[in-house]
Amino acid sequence: MPEFESVIGLETHIQLNTQTKIFCGCKADSWEDLPNTNICPVCTGLPGVLPTLNNAVVTKAVLLALAVQVDSVQPKSYFARKNYFYPDLPKGYQISQYDEPLALGGFIDLPLPDGSVRRVTIEKLHLEEDAGKTVRQVGERWIDFNRCGVPLLEMVTGPDLRTADEAAQYLIRLRQLLRWLGISDADMERGQLRCDANVSIRPVGSDDLNTKTEIKNVNSIENVRSAIEAEIKRQIREVQSGGRIEAWTLDWDEDKSTLHKMRSKESEADYRYFREPDLLPVLIDQDWLEQMRDALPELPLERKERFIETYALPEYDSEILTEERTLSEYFERTVQAFIGDPKVVSNWMMNDLLRLIRERGTTAGKLIIQPEHLAELIAMVEAKTITASTGKELLDKVEHSGLTPEAIVKAEGLGQVSDEGKLRSLAVEIIETNPDQVATYTGGKTTILGWFVGQMMKETRGKANAQLVQKIFRELLEKS
Amino acid sequence: MNEALCDLSALEIARRVKSGENSAVQVLESTLDRIRNVEGNSPSTASYTFDPADLEKIHAYITVTKDRARVQAEQVDRAIEEGQDPGPLAGVPLAVKDIFCVRDTPSTAGSRILENFISPYSATPVERLEAAGAVTVGKVNLDEFTFGSSNESSAFLPPVGNPWNAAHVPGGSSGGSAAAVAAGEAVISIGTDTAGSIRQPAAFCGVVGMKPTYGRVSRYGLIAFASSLDCPGPIARNTTDVALALQVMAGSDPHDATAAEVPVPDYVSLLEGGVEGLRIGLSPDYFKLKFPDPETGEIREQSIDPDAQRAVQHAAEIFARAGAEIVEDVPMPNTHYGIPVYFVISRVEAASNLHRYDGVKYGYRYDGEVEDLRQLYRITRARGFGPQVKLRILMGMYVSAEQYEKGYYDKALRVRTLIRRDFLEAFDPQGRYKLDCLLTATTPTSAFEIGSVYGDSVLMQYADLLTVSANHAGNPGLSVPAGLDEKGLPIGIQFLGPDFSEGTLLRIGRTYEMRTEHEPWRAVKPKVLQGLG
Ligand SMILES: [Zn+2]
Repeated sequence: MPEFESVIGLETHIQLNTQTKIFCGCKADSWEDLPNTNICPVCTGLPGVLPTLNNAVVTKAVLLALAVQVDSVQPKSYFARKNYFYPDLPKGYQISQYDEPLALGGFIDLPLPDGSVRRVTIEKLHLEEDAGKTVRQVGERWIDFNRCGVPLLEMVTGPDLRTADEAAQYLIRLRQLLRWLGISDADMERGQLRCDANVSIRPVGSDDLNTKTEIKNVNSIENVRSAIEAEIKRQIREVQSGGRIEAWTLDWDEDKSTLHKMRSKESEADYRYFREPDLLPVLIDQDWLEQMRDALPELPLERKERFIETYALPEYDSEILTEERTLSEYFERTVQAFIGDPKVVSNWMMNDLLRLIRERGTTAGKLIIQPEHLAELIAMVEAKTITASTGKELLDKVEHSGLTPEAIVKAEGLGQVSDEGKLRSLAVEIIETNPDQVATYTGGKTTILGWFVGQMMKETRGKANAQLVQKIFRELLEKS
Repeated sequence: MNEALCDLSALEIARRVKSGENSAVQVLESTLDRIRNVEGNSPSTASYTFDPADLEKIHAYITVTKDRARVQAEQVDRAIEEGQDPGPLAGVPLAVKDIFCVRDTPSTAGSRILENFISPYSATPVERLEAAGAVTVGKVNLDEFTFGSSNESSAFLPPVGNPWNAAHVPGGSSGGSAAAVAAGEAVISIGTDTAGSIRQPAAFCGVVGMKPTYGRVSRYGLIAFASSLDCPGPIARNTTDVALALQVMAGSDPHDATAAEVPVPDYVSLLEGGVEGLRIGLSPDYFKLKFPDPETGEIREQSIDPDAQRAVQHAAEIFARAGAEIVEDVPMPNTHYGIPVYFVISRVEAASNLHRYDGVKYGYRYDGEVEDLRQLYRITRARGFGPQVKLRILMGMYVSAEQYEKGYYDKALRVRTLIRRDFLEAFDPQGRYKLDCLLTATTPTSAFEIGSVYGDSVLMQYADLLTVSANHAGNPGLSVPAGLDEKGLPIGIQFLGPDFSEGTLLRIGRTYEMRTEHEPWRAVKPKVLQGLG
């Protein structure tokens, strides 16, 4: 029996986070709204209405196209009508780009665990409108038109992925990129990023593209991984037992973790596509495109490499710090404000700031504590003005109060006591009032030194410089 | 016969209403009186049995929006009392083709499937007319979803009668509009022209109708037939009123991406500029019609009616005398492809545009027991649509199917660009002909009798032979009355011009009007008005 490898291509639908829908002025995001509250004559397909294109949709889509380095953002692309009947498709056709999409070609590089990079080619990016939502009740269908006309960007990859893990990695990278560019919230559970997977298998070493199946309705990255894994296993079993793979469309049942057949590809409808006469072609001005290209932010992988080079960060740190755009920006601003080793900043961010971000369920960009505050705080710890544990508590206090670290340290008297004269006189007092413990020490049990240090910490509420205190006690007790 | 208020021009009505000489309410009353006098049985979807009396009346209105109109008229009068300007169409009675959505009115498209649809919004051009002071008297009949050239395919019967002889059709699909205006049941009307649907009924009913350049008037709120061909436009009894209405309707619209961002000239002030120095062309391809024989498919050639030919020649002489240069023998070689290309393109777009009428959201829904969703769709659409609509859906589905698309639809689109090229060459200022306009007959014949052509959809379509090319090309066209034929039925001539040349066409039309002012046919009134007090 030959060994098999799998060939996977992903078709993703990205919900662009525009304020309004693609062809009307209704609010685009209805996640928290009641059914049929964000609708108008246009998106519910009343007689006589016409679509008009929301240009913000094009701008956001072009950003992604440039980020995946498409071969061309087409100077002229068109919308078409995809005709079919369904109750949640109020016009009886979906307006979608078809034969002349917004952009062609491109790729996303996927770093693999073994250090190599998988280049996933992008075949095309096209714009379309979403349909509504049907909720099936016994003997009834309830239709919510809120989602009608929500802008979607369809991005199709080549058959370049080889394992379910790679498919999951691709989605993680894509989600990162979408959020990085600020064009989609890319939450799969909310349907803001949807994925259909085309899966086929072939003997290792072969270049053939065999009959593929299409897995639909998977709503998390974990489920995409599981569904593809299950389908690869099924196909291998099928071929090994002498069967043939048929071009099915499969549905992933999340509850039972199984795939079931929706329909055979052969029975697919003829959508009778033709150019949408109600919309003008989408024209892309070349000067504008160049402006967009210039304004494109540094992308996650580039930034990760730069952090390693510029700040001498370990790859692990750099990967985490560039997972999310505002976090990476936070890091750089902190480094700029802090005179010292960037790795120290990285440590503080990875240990303490990320904990704070997680606890607050927010992002670095939305924190109250500013990079300058963090830099000031780290500097105080480094200068031993405060202890490390005071610094950690201070982080929360700044986030909570909005005051600067310095102001809080001053107001609460959190500064570390390093004044040798003051500590020495306190130490003398402690020694005088505890003759028994002094006797123990002079009797040879020098480990009791720790007890003396503890007493000093109690006196100074933890702010004393521990090393200095040790040194003072040792000197005084030796003299006793 | 004493001229009633409703027989006055829009210009004159607006003048009188603004000066306080007459109130908008008086004008409305006069119009409603006329409607009572000439309408006869009002059209409905109830099963229709022919009544000979129907062949003497107009039956133009599907809905008379009496109360809504009264509110509007009172508003106009109040505005004037308060010293405000209600707009250039103050108090002018308007009939809206029932293919336009008008807020709070049944907007039926002449179809059973939308019989109970009350629109929650108004079409842009209607909104603009109303904002200029026009008073919407009602919604007028049409071929179902505008699919026809005679008004006989409406689900609302009796069919509209031609005011010049109510046993004849008013033309279509804006037949209700042209008939209402000709009979004084409205002073202006807004229609739509997809293959000639404004110009042909205007010619049949002896009124003026303009199909503007595609994109000149917003289509928002126009229930779509063939989206790439549909043009809203005005119908009135003279070119001045058409200019007045177009002025108000035209212009870009944030709701319609295909509405052009081209400034709207002051059409009315351009009207009396004459035709001196204009180059007006005549094309042999508009005198002799070539079309495939419906039976054999062989290309047949047929001349247009001699009366229509004479009217065109007569007009050319008038223009020559008025200082225009007449250019003969302008080739428009692709004209005869107009109808076959139209058959394909319009049906593909129509089938898609009609998808939304599925009984789910609005309009008619079959309320009996159904097994599943598919059956609900099927029975709803089978009962909701008339035969002409079904025919067009079937053909549209057929020619856009994956396996036929290349042979029909794609080819039709290519031929369409050839038709457009004919126009571009004729109007090219650097070209051989340098025309300002092409002068043709509007229709090959005058209005035919009700029932004589209906049912033969191929033959019916040839009523649009001389008009449809402008829809393919997107160019504007104006039809004006040019006499009566031997049966006493109106003949129309048409001016076709380059993109956005409406101002020039109206000027040419106005010149023709002034120069024929004293011709005897001008004094003849439509039959339905003869004997009215
Ligand atoms: Zn909407």
